Order: sequence, then C-alpha cells, then structure tokens
Amino acid sequence: MTLLECRGVTKAFGSLVALKEVDLALEEGETLGIIGPNGAGKSTLFNAIAGLLPLTAGDVHYRGRRISGLPTHAVCRLGIAKTFQIPQLFPRLTVLENVMIGALYGGGEGLGKARGAAADWLGFVGLADRGGLPAATLTVSERRRLDLARVLATGATVLLLDENMAGLTQKEMEAALTLLRAVRERGKSLVVIEHVMRAIVGIADRVLVLNYGEKIAEGHPHEVMQDPTVIKAYLGEAYA
Amino acid sequence: MARRVELSWGLFALLVLAILLALPLGAGPYAIRLAAVIFMWAALAGSWNLLAGYAGAVDLGPVVYHGIGAFGTAALMMRAGLPFLVSVALAGGVAAAIAFVIGTPTLRLRGAYFAIGTLALAESAKQLALAWDRLTGIPLTGGSAGISLPLSAGYLPFYYLMLTVMACVTLTALWLERSKFGYGLRAIGENDRLAEASGVDIHALKRRVYMASALFIAWTGGIEGYWLSYINAAEAFGTAITFQMVVMALLGGLGTPFGPLLGAAFLTLASEFLGTRFVYHYLIGIGLIIVIIPLFMPAGLAGLVRLVRRERPLTA
Repeated sequence: MTLLECRGVTKAFGSLVALKEVDLALEEGETLGIIGPNGAGKSTLFNAIAGLLPLTAGDVHYRGRRISGLPTHAVCRLGIAKTFQIPQLFPRLTVLENVMIGALYGGGEGLGKARGAAADWLGFVGLADRGGLPAATLTVSERRRLDLARVLATGATVLLLDENMAGLTQKEMEAALTLLRAVRERGKSLVVIEHVMRAIVGIADRVLVLNYGEKIAEGHPHEVMQDPTVIKAYLGEAYA
Repeated sequence: MARRVELSWGLFALLVLAILLALPLGAGPYAIRLAAVIFMWAALAGSWNLLAGYAGAVDLGPVVYHGIGAFGTAALMMRAGLPFLVSVALAGGVAAAIAFVIGTPTLRLRGAYFAIGTLALAESAKQLALAWDRLTGIPLTGGSAGISLPLSAGYLPFYYLMLTVMACVTLTALWLERSKFGYGLRAIGENDRLAEASGVDIHALKRRVYMASALFIAWTGGIEGYWLSYINAAEAFGTAITFQMVVMALLGGLGTPFGPLLGAAFLTLASEFLGTRFVYHYLIGIGLIIVIIPLFMPAGLAGLVRLVRRERPLTA
C-alpha cells in the first residue's frame, strides 16, 4: 500500500524554482533514499511534505488523504515526522523531556505514558544514561540520535530523516546504520536524505535522484549509480 | 528525589500563604498597604511571565488588559450598577475575549516583531481610550480628565483581593512547571519550529496562555482602579506599567513560578526604602540595581535561591 505520495510537487522562491514537478511514492515498510548535489532541493522537498513550506503547485497525499496545506503540527500528528539537517533540540529541557515533547504532542499521550515512552526510545537510540542532562550538553552524534528518538516518540509511521549520518565518524556511521535497520524492523517507513553513498546503499530499497529541483533518476541504488545522467550531475560531462 | 522536592515546595508555599492570610492580624496599616502593592505587582509581573517566561513571547503591550480591566470594572459598576466583585470578574472575561481576537493575528509574529507589534498596539489602545468619549459619545473613560469611582471600603479587602490574584497567577505558573500544557509552552519558548514539527499547535497554546494572562492582568487593573477610586486612561494604559512588569519579572527570574513575586517585593521595598531616605536621588539607586542584578545574576533572584537550594539535580 502506498503510504506517502507526492504529485507534481513544485516550490518556487520568487523566480528560483527549487522543486519542479516532483513525483514520489513511498510504500509501507519501504526505505527510500534521496540523493543529489548540494542545492538540489532535497531538504526543500522534506519541508514541503512536512508542511513547513507551502507548495507552489502539486499536492501531497498520506494514506490517500490530501495533506498539503495542513499546518506542520497536524502533519506530524497524522504520522509524518522529520529530523533536521542541523539537528534541532530544546536546549534547556533535559534529553528525556526533549523526547517527551514528541510523545506528548505528536503522540497525544499524557504525562506518565509520555515519560515511559520517552525513556524507552532513549534506550532504543542508546542515550538512556543521558536522560537527565540538559540537551545542550550533547555531542553532534548524540544530538542526531536525540532527534531520531524525538521523531520516533511522536509515533509517526513515516520518518523523514535529513542527513541523519552527516558528520559522523566511520564507527559512528556503522552504529547509525544498525540503528536505522532496527527502526525499519519496528515497521517504520523511511525517506532518507544522505550524501554518503555507502550509507544509502546500505539502507535504501530504492533511490530517487534530484538535480536542480528535478527528478533525474529513480530505481535500485546500484542501477542509479551507473546512470550516466546521475554521474554527469555529480561529476560533470567528462565522467559520464 | 523530584517528588520530595515538589512536596517540600508545596508545603513551603502553603506555609507562606498561611502567614500572608494571617498577616493583617499582626501588622499595621502601612505594612498591609505595602504588602498589597507588592502582591499587585507580583500578579502583574507574574501574568507577563506566563507568556514571556514559558512560551518565550515578549509582550510589550500587556497594559492594554490592565486598562480594559480598570475601565471595564468601572463601567460595569457605575453604568450597569453591578456589585464590585461581579464587575471585576466580568471585566476579566471581556479582557480574555479581546485577547482572543488580538492574539490570533499578533501571536503569529515572532521575536522582536511581536514585541514591537504589541508595544504599538498598547499605544493605540491608550489613544483610543483617551478619545473614546469624544469619538463614540458614550461616556466611559472621561478623556484625559479620567473618572472617579465610588469610594471603597478601607484597605483590608484589597490586601486579600491582590493576594488572591497573585496566588492564582503563581499557582498557574506552578502548574505550568509540571503539566503537559506547560511542557508544550516551554518547547515553544525554546525552539518554536521544532515544537511545531513535534506536533505542538503553537498558535493555539500561545493564545490560551495569552488569554489567561489577560484575565489576571484585567482583574488586577479592576481591583486597583476601585482601590484608588480614580483612574485615567493615560496611566491605566501607560507603558510605565508594562515596563515595571517586565523589569520585575526579569529581576526576579524569568520563567520561574516565584521569580516575579521576588522581583516585585524587592523592587517595591527598595523604592520604598530609598524613596523615603533619598527623595530626589533614589531613582539613580533603582537604576543601578536594575543594571547590576541581571549583570551578576543572569537568572534573577530566583536563580540565587535555586543555586543555594540546588533544586535541580544534574542527573536524574
């Protein structure tokens, strides 16, 4: 069953067209990778799906229902939640409270249940011993895991992960990939923006390539990487 | 650990409340009046703190609801012939309704834009109040001359009324410290975009707390007007009240339940003490205090208390 579907999604900032008629479909339980050079419109696509940016044209459907035009919080409550390219947090709330916000408002839980759920998700991402610290004290890799725990706590079924592995060391990335596989096993469907090819190949069932706001290729990760249009977009004419 | 701290705080608050309720038995009229003034400012600064301290929205126009409360109460008493307490309660409702209408568009502004927008709003409200009688032909504010209210009975009822409003405001802040609604507000104050992306309906939550704050401010304004038995629009809607609320909340400790009370008590007592000794120069001293406290105690007076008590353990 198709969970999430974008039809002709277009976003223009004045005369700059950041997204041009992008179609996308995410099946239940699937992991879709999104790659593309800097400025290709990947994060814009996420913001458009999550309701953080109004669309210029086209629409987004979730479980057959049109969700474009809904406010961000409503999209989150329906079951689509995103992490941020620069990991975001509530700096003076504790790590546990950060995750609780997701469970309280995204998941609509009461305080007691939210606290329990937040503790569980913190354990899941390996931050159980950080729960009482102010979130501002976390390292970059811990912040990315906190961001993931918060999104999981909202109870969302579709997770939009924006470069969740950027800036990680080799070892941290291996751990992050293992973590994402565990997330998949919990029945979540993922859309993953990633620059690190090894990470994409390791996790994605299908890859969609954006360049200058347009979809230039889509398919199995290995096939897409052999595609001359994709190589040209990344490395220039000489390598295609 | 956390439970025990909560319990001891609750007992402490109850003890303080009991002492305050019994205070008039042992204190003279001057002390009672002074305490009532402190409660009044604590209620005002505390109401401002509900929105600014928890949801991070710096409102520079809260005095609008003070003026609405004062003139609303006066109008209901004198034109509709309602009893004082009924008039105050209703004027609070009117203020909350107006806050709903004003808050819906203005609370969408962020940061400095919200501050400037509300400041401009308060000035417009003052001008409107000053010109009201002339413009509408309905005598309500008395223009620049102001209006007199029926003389009130003594000062003791006002002590208890101000104490009640102050207690309501403080209890609301205490509730925000440990409720789902409070977590939502603090999330908005810390990072509103992230709060929104985590499912928090930021506009609805901010509007709700803005309305509560308007209600408490209007009650305070209504009680104050009857107490002084004279009000005029230039003062009741004046920015001086706004800035005193802001300064007291900041001195006491933004986003803490007892900070505004500490700030109000400290600044009122300091003005009283310095004002009687240095009649012409005391404002210099007040100015220095306002600069020095935030400089050396960025978390305000409540931060000092917290430091001594080590209220928040570093790990839970």
